[in-house]
Amino acid sequence: MTTRVAFAQLTSCWGCDQSLMDLHMRLLEVLPQLEIVYWPAVVDYKLADLEALPRNSIHVGFVEGSCRTEEDVHLLNVMREKSKLLVAWGSCSCYGGVQGLANTWPLAELVERKFQRAETITDARVPDVNVPPFTEHIVPNPDRVKFDMILPGCPPTSDNIYDIVVALLTGAPFDLPETTVCDQCPRKREEKHITRFKRTFEGKPDPEKCLLDQGYLCLGFATIGLCGAQCPSANSPCKGCFGPPPSVKDHGAKIISALGAIADINPEELKKMFPDPVGSFYFTDYAASYLAKIGAKKREER
Amino acid sequence: MTATAQKSRPMTKSKTRGKSFEPRIVAFCCNWCSYAGADLAGTSRMQMPPNVRIIRVNCTGRVDPHFILEALYQGADGVLISGCHPGDCHYTSGNIKMRARYALLQNLLEQAGIDPRRVHLQWASAAEGDVFAEGVSMMVERIKKIGPNPMREGE
Repeated sequence: MTTRVAFAQLTSCWGCDQSLMDLHMRLLEVLPQLEIVYWPAVVDYKLADLEALPRNSIHVGFVEGSCRTEEDVHLLNVMREKSKLLVAWGSCSCYGGVQGLANTWPLAELVERKFQRAETITDARVPDVNVPPFTEHIVPNPDRVKFDMILPGCPPTSDNIYDIVVALLTGAPFDLPETTVCDQCPRKREEKHITRFKRTFEGKPDPEKCLLDQGYLCLGFATIGLCGAQCPSANSPCKGCFGPPPSVKDHGAKIISALGAIADINPEELKKMFPDPVGSFYFTDYAASYLAKIGAKKREER
Repeated sequence: MTATAQKSRPMTKSKTRGKSFEPRIVAFCCNWCSYAGADLAGTSRMQMPPNVRIIRVNCTGRVDPHFILEALYQGADGVLISGCHPGDCHYTSGNIKMRARYALLQNLLEQAGIDPRRVHLQWASAAEGDVFAEGVSMMVERIKKIGPNPMREGE
């Protein structure tokens, strides 16, 4: 029996599709078992095709991206209705993604900045014909509809996607690990006493030693260990794009908690070292944070 | 008697919502200094507003920023963290860790558009019941000026 699958893209960079494509020849192992019923990224399907499907007729639906427009919200609802099992695919879908960082500004200001005050604009106007309206703020998809599974990552690695697809096909359990990127990182760690945090472009990091020990803001300690420590292995600090392990509710809070314990710096200086805490501590999951939810409520009331 | 009490209840409610806003403040007090300080303030019959709900923790170093953000999310109008003076920590450096976390948290709250004064860190030793009581009074005053937490509305 083939498994009927659908892949839907909301507001996103489609990097998750790219990551799936990167499976290359391994795709051949799973493709014969799949029947693709909707996947606009590779096959010419229209929204009407998806809407015409009977309820619960898709075995597994993958949703990538977050809801920045009302059309995204509609597509998400249709996917939920048509899918037996819905998977939040990628950090955008699980936590709101990089788009969530926009939640620190009101929508009107964002639209003005983008369409009227962007440096490259000559004929400033807000598009209003044949475009769906924006949503007020980014809300993580699992807060909009029920999801059966989440696979974070920006994007999830090809191996992650392979594992989840195989698990879904064979019925094997698939649980997100409670381990962090540090558990997968090959670098040598020592006792941490950081006297100064460096920006990534400052100095030249030692390829053997822990990046955090060297004063680079590497977020591996608070980030779920799914990626195989790709960035630290390439001498680049972890940005936390996979989000926190499942038991952590607020990524940034845990990062601050850990930084407070290892920073040997007076508070005023420490403040100056992180001029953009939302961007630094909630790279892809600000929309899922407590602060974003409080901020959204505050704006609603006004 | 019961009937009068029932009758008067809705009136009191509308009064608190309308005219005078009574903040609800969560206070995390460390077991070794501020909790004992709060106790001393109580046994010495010092006057302070009743808006604070104290949660005892072993050390302010145990206060994860997650607790503070979750308290705000659940509708606390303010969060007060009270611990030993720097250098006096029972566990040597828990309060220093809290101080660093507090600095980062203040930055974060400000950027997120939430008044950073809603979260306050103070030092009060076991002998400073008066410092604790004054800290609480000032906190309540501050939060009254800022107004209710938006998460609290519609209760």
